[in-house]
Amino acid sequence: MEFPAATSFAGFTTLLQKECMRFIRVAGQTLISPLISVSLYLLIFGINLADKIANQNGVNYLQFIIPGLVALALLNNAFQNASSSIIISKFHGDLQDLKVVPLTPSQIVWAYAFAGTIRGFLVGISVACIGEIFYVVQYGELLVVQNWLQLCWFLIAGGVTFSLLGLSVALFANNFDQVSAVGTFVILPLIYLGGVFFSIANMHPFWKMISYANPLLYLINGIRYSFLGVSDIDPSRAFLLTLFFVAGAYLLARRMVQVGSYTRF
Amino acid sequence: MESPLLIDDINKSFDQVEVLKSLRFELKTGEIFGLLGPNGAGKTTLISILTSLLAPSSGTAAIFGNDILTQSLQARKKVGVVPQEIVSHGFFTVNQVLNFHSGYYGLRKNQERIDYLLEKLALAEHQNKLVAQLSGGMKRRLLIAKALVHSPPLLLLDEPTAGVDVELRHSLWRFVRELHKDGMTILLTTHYLDEAEELCDRIGVLSKGELIALDETKKLIHDLTHRQVILTLTQPLESKPALPEMQVNKNIVKVNIAHQETVGELIKKLAIPLEWIQDVSITEGSLEDAFVSLLKQHTR
Repeated sequence: MEFPAATSFAGFTTLLQKECMRFIRVAGQTLISPLISVSLYLLIFGINLADKIANQNGVNYLQFIIPGLVALALLNNAFQNASSSIIISKFHGDLQDLKVVPLTPSQIVWAYAFAGTIRGFLVGISVACIGEIFYVVQYGELLVVQNWLQLCWFLIAGGVTFSLLGLSVALFANNFDQVSAVGTFVILPLIYLGGVFFSIANMHPFWKMISYANPLLYLINGIRYSFLGVSDIDPSRAFLLTLFFVAGAYLLARRMVQVGSYTRF
Repeated sequence: MESPLLIDDINKSFDQVEVLKSLRFELKTGEIFGLLGPNGAGKTTLISILTSLLAPSSGTAAIFGNDILTQSLQARKKVGVVPQEIVSHGFFTVNQVLNFHSGYYGLRKNQERIDYLLEKLALAEHQNKLVAQLSGGMKRRLLIAKALVHSPPLLLLDEPTAGVDVELRHSLWRFVRELHKDGMTILLTTHYLDEAEELCDRIGVLSKGELIALDETKKLIHDLTHRQVILTLTQPLESKPALPEMQVNKNIVKVNIAHQETVGELIKKLAIPLEWIQDVSITEGSLEDAFVSLLKQHTR
């Protein structure tokens, strides 16, 4: 009896492909649905209320919230992708496959990180396109990205960090409620208070000081700086901190892959 | 040649309750080994340890010489596992699930093997259906196909026929025999003792986490059971039973005898005239009898 030889990189690419196919199969929920809420934000805040809201960081409000909404969509979807995939697998009982097959913890971590980032990217780019349409209709010109390289870095760093956080939370959770609680009570407030809709320059010094402790402030402002060239945060500081966030989230996710719960719900 | 599976002093406790106690045994290449035991004996815990789902409290095991703790990846490549519980894969079709599972083992282009398994397990016509649309029996067969997709030399079957109909059970037996014929080593846990008796070369019996018996199936049955001789007489036997394990019901006499004892010797012992004997039937002991006897001895 002959047993075929196997290559280890193929295990990683298979898991990545499976995770991408999963969110594409339910594209209505994963890719289309986030665009509806973003379009409403743009219409209500960016168009209807824009004249009543003061310029933020020296740019008009529609300009200001487009990069914020791109960041919101990217981070939220990256988190959701990894966490919902793991939770559904726990429900179906096939998560234990990952323990049985010859995949290393790093391969599992990066497969989920890249899949979440790809989904976040797709939604983020779609949001940017919708934002451009709104901007062109409103002002008759395109909103030009100031620095593509920086934008790519902050999008990748944000997507990877939030995918890894989603993976960690889902592996830690013993039921649906725990994941939902972390998403609702921790991640969502951090995203919204991280400067998606407002500049922290306008805040009371006390709240400003608290905002500096919010890691999302750096990701969101990094994305905004890449788009518009304006930011509440020094971009080089944001770059270094996001590097640190990626490393921290990776170590946490790797640990959770090793010790987390694979038990069926 | 390395042993397919060497279990070396494995202990496992949950909250100070010992579930496996100093378990040691070895599988021989190409055999079907049955691991039997009542519910809670520790069979699934052992399978979970062997497949990296649980860590042992102490001790270890080696799969073809690869330690499951220190050479886990190499060990995992050589084993296929059919879990006890049926799992679902809501988003994907049967063919996709098998391709993904194959890919995890590094085999991205393995459609020939997948087609072979789909055919063998009567799943070919369902290969484009979502797993959620399959019946319980089909899902069970898919689990077996998944476990075999990378052609592992060692297969762990954790109650593979639990809850399946008789026809499917028998077709799975035939398939297991084919795998055995191809040289695969198989560890089978089951509650169906007829299944173990039918398929297994050797049997290990677990009770409360301890291995209380390990031998060739035939020898285990031979050593732990009696033959039952049933004599139908032409007239009722009025005298008292001459042997302690003898049951008399009018003209029917049932006696358990040791395997080496002959019916002639028995009839002499009972002092029944030969012309009274209308019919003689002999029932050999089964694995079920051996299992019950063993558990009785152990719980005494």
